[in-house]
Amino acid sequence: MSHSEVALGGHHTPAMEPSPFAIPAKKLAMWLFIISDIMTFAACLVAYGFLRNATPNWPRPFQSSTIASVMVMTFILITSSFTMVLAVRAARAGDRAAGFRWTMITLAGGILFALLHIREWFGMIDQGVTLFKNPWGTGLFGGAYFSVTGLELLHVIAALIVFIIVGFGYKRGRYTSDDIENCGLFWQFINIVWMFVVPLVYLMNVAS
Amino acid sequence: MSAAEERGGIGKFFVVYVCMLATTAIELVIAYRHPSGAQLLVSMLLLAFIGALLGVLVFMRLAAEKHSLIVAFAVFTLFVLATINYGWTDSFRLLFGVPFAK
Repeated sequence: MSHSEVALGGHHTPAMEPSPFAIPAKKLAMWLFIISDIMTFAACLVAYGFLRNATPNWPRPFQSSTIASVMVMTFILITSSFTMVLAVRAARAGDRAAGFRWTMITLAGGILFALLHIREWFGMIDQGVTLFKNPWGTGLFGGAYFSVTGLELLHVIAALIVFIIVGFGYKRGRYTSDDIENCGLFWQFINIVWMFVVPLVYLMNVAS
Repeated sequence: MSAAEERGGIGKFFVVYVCMLATTAIELVIAYRHPSGAQLLVSMLLLAFIGALLGVLVFMRLAAEKHSLIVAFAVFTLFVLATINYGWTDSFRLLFGVPFAK
């Protein structure tokens, strides 16, 4: 009996432990990634709160127009989360066409969100906000603002690239419903993080 | 979740979608009422947490997963989120100058 056969218990079936949480390995990996990413975002948001709390002259630059834009972005992101749920449901039900269609609708929502986000950034830059200075108060504001929102935007852009690759791959049969579900997990996570970014970064700094 | 179950209604998901929009709308209303800083922060975080919990349990389907995954996720995440708040004490020290206040 060869070493490999001994390792396999003398049978020709692979020696596999059952999944610890009764989910596919890729999904478990995605959950572990999400848990670690929660730590990253939590560290950024707490650091932002730390600076905000410890700085008496923290700028409050967000006018009603900015808040309205952020609310539109939030509506788009939450709606795209809902369409992603529909994509996952369709994929799990074996409806490949509907799964692809809802994934692409989610992708469109994500692109719109990213464009509005970038527009928001340009608006702030036009007002003189950079990483190290701004016209209103402590220079820490720009660094903190761009770090937190930039990390969110980076995740959105990464997710959009993944949607294109997995979405079209799923349509061609290269990827399965499990892959769409993993995309969905990542997208829902981004939406949830945004639900904390909006109140902490924008609504707490509404200009009075 | 089976394919047959996936073909069921989307009512539950739509309710969560509306709740998420509602929590954001309530946050907006609260922000423009200009309550005190601490009150505003607590209200905002509470509403964000409700929205996030709904998202994790329903949209991310954690509620439908095996109990052990839910426990593992909750323990790891909440422990780190709780301990990371240790930093706030130093934030207040910077603000008030304690323990070096004159």
